[in-house]
Amino acid sequence: MASQPAVTRPSRRKARGAGIAPWLFISPWILGFLFFTLGPLAFSFVMSLHDWPVVGQRTFVGLDNYRVMFLHDPQFWTSLGITVKFAALFVPLNIVLSFLLAVLLNLNLKGTPIYRTAFYLPSVISGVALVTIWSWLYSKEYGLLNYLLSFAGIDGPNWLGDTGWSIVAITIASLWGLGGSMLIFLAGLQSVPKELYEAARVSGVPAWAQVVHITLPMLSPMLLFTFITSIISAFQQLTIALLLTKGGPVGSTYFFAMYIYDNAFKFHDMGYAAAMSWVMFLIIMALSMLVMRWSSAWVYYEGEVRKDGDHA
Amino acid sequence: MTATTRIIGPAILAATFCAGWAQAEDKVLRFATWDSDESLAIEEAIAKKFEEAHPGVKVQVEPYGDGFDQKLTAAMGAGSPPDVMYMWNFPSYKDSLLPLDDLIAKDAAELNLADIPQGLLNTAKIDGKTYGLPVGFTTHVVFYNKDMFAAAGVPEPKAGWTWDDLRADAAKFRNKDQKVYGFAVDAKPDPYDFEQFLWSDGTKYISDDGRTIDGYMNSPEAVEVLTMFADMLKTEQAVGLNIGDDTSGSTLFKGGKIAMYQSAMWSKSGLDESGMHYGVAPMPTFGSKPVHSAIDASAISIAKDTKEPDLAWEFVKFFSSPEAVKMRKNDLPVRTSVVKELGMDQDPMFKPFFDILAVSNRETHAFLKNPNWGRIQDNLAKAIEATMIDQGNAKQHLDEAVAASARFLN
Repeated sequence: MASQPAVTRPSRRKARGAGIAPWLFISPWILGFLFFTLGPLAFSFVMSLHDWPVVGQRTFVGLDNYRVMFLHDPQFWTSLGITVKFAALFVPLNIVLSFLLAVLLNLNLKGTPIYRTAFYLPSVISGVALVTIWSWLYSKEYGLLNYLLSFAGIDGPNWLGDTGWSIVAITIASLWGLGGSMLIFLAGLQSVPKELYEAARVSGVPAWAQVVHITLPMLSPMLLFTFITSIISAFQQLTIALLLTKGGPVGSTYFFAMYIYDNAFKFHDMGYAAAMSWVMFLIIMALSMLVMRWSSAWVYYEGEVRKDGDHA
Repeated sequence: MTATTRIIGPAILAATFCAGWAQAEDKVLRFATWDSDESLAIEEAIAKKFEEAHPGVKVQVEPYGDGFDQKLTAAMGAGSPPDVMYMWNFPSYKDSLLPLDDLIAKDAAELNLADIPQGLLNTAKIDGKTYGLPVGFTTHVVFYNKDMFAAAGVPEPKAGWTWDDLRADAAKFRNKDQKVYGFAVDAKPDPYDFEQFLWSDGTKYISDDGRTIDGYMNSPEAVEVLTMFADMLKTEQAVGLNIGDDTSGSTLFKGGKIAMYQSAMWSKSGLDESGMHYGVAPMPTFGSKPVHSAIDASAISIAKDTKEPDLAWEFVKFFSSPEAVKMRKNDLPVRTSVVKELGMDQDPMFKPFFDILAVSNRETHAFLKNPNWGRIQDNLAKAIEATMIDQGNAKQHLDEAVAASARFLN
């Protein structure tokens, strides 16, 4: 088109218009990304190099915030440890449970739609309402959970008041919102071609082997996605802990994100909070990259042809 | 082009219209408070009175509640602070507040500050500059349930009673089946208030020069205070509050589940409303040591960046005037004339608050002594909570708090 000599004015204008139009269409996203994500991200890095109180003088301190964090702030390490502990509990449980629920829902039994709705419902409830419900369930004296346990003759723990149980309580409450990943797995399960299972059945492959050799490989992209998003949400855990335990008892659920929050809005130390946010960002990025790299060993994409030809 | 005009045109028109409309509307004064419920209702009533006296002025009451510091910080950081606000933490915010000394000098006769106790005025002063005017305050007392005392045949507490007396009384109310206790111990008290127990036992969190906590916060007296409360939990003389359950002490007290409850004015109107039959006892002493209460004073301040400084000052003056002070039922009047007029210093339901105020002038709250106190206090709060959960080990937990706070003392 462009090489043709007889290009008229109107059509050239039309061509240029077509060049801008797509940009205009995606501009809300681009502008949103620039102003509300990339801008603040870059700004927070600048902040992290300053002693930045909310009111008063800002002073450039270079990497001092990072130095203090790593060398002189035991709370930084404690909070990080608590967050890692939570992730270690939450991530595997979230994947396994949502996978199992998806498999159950995929059996197409009577009443499946009701269960599907019921399992997904908690994901629709806002965090604050969810936490309120759980704080009632967990109450030591009057809670439903310990009441039910008492039927089994178990003297239930003080879920939110015991330093050992509090993180378990938060993990359970967080797992309640696994509807999202369950739905992803369910969609994945339903897109696995039936012929594969039929072929396996005809060849006399036992059911467990069908799961291992057909279902899991076919679902591996969803597993990868859920794995990474679970890690991210585990590290960013704030709402539930903030509202359910306020970081307690005795700081046993004082998550990394909560320490960032306190540094910014309680101690008015924006620079330090920004520096901690960057550390969290780098940790999450490193973990995600690690998982992605490792994933090539076990994630199978449909239509993918392996170099060694094994799975082609 | 035409499509764009079609969308943007009305938008501009609407924006212009809104701006014009806002200008034609009343002057708006933003007032931020940390109060909720009844205290908030009282403040709104005072604001209404102010509006009546100043036609064309609208007071926008902004209740920040528990998130007061976060929201105020965010508003100041964003450069749009409320014009006037409740204030107590002057060291943290003084750079953003308007010094009031010139204004006070100008309106001295009208203000009559001699009517307000110097100790309360001092809570809003830093380095000789005044950043706020006190509008209400409270000291601390012990509320007790008269019906429960009568039913159990326990004589009501008298002035001069000690913690040992309180513990002996409390033990008599314990009823396992009905989940009734004699007293309540908060595992997560506000450290600001909790220091009164250390003061009354002859120690304090931090030295007066704000540089030393070792030997103060973990002194034998401090250990004794924490151990006593932990012991009350262990012996079931008291129920633990805020240990995995956020049922409030006043809820338990109103429900007849605890016979005595240590609190302040902020609980009183709720008790009055419940219709229960209660009495007000003074704070018990540690043996023969002199008692010393925490003083929780609310002041009102003006933001440095306010666009309506004159109006804001009028509002501040009104808030501390006898008329407004008299309307406040959830704290104590800062003006002596109002106290006298209402006969509160003779009323047995109020007398203990004023009696302890008269002797609570020896100590200074820790946050005024060290700019990093907020961070030190977090470690201290953890030590208190850990001691109450362990029902002991006060020395170990306080030593840990002191060690963890060392880096904030420079």
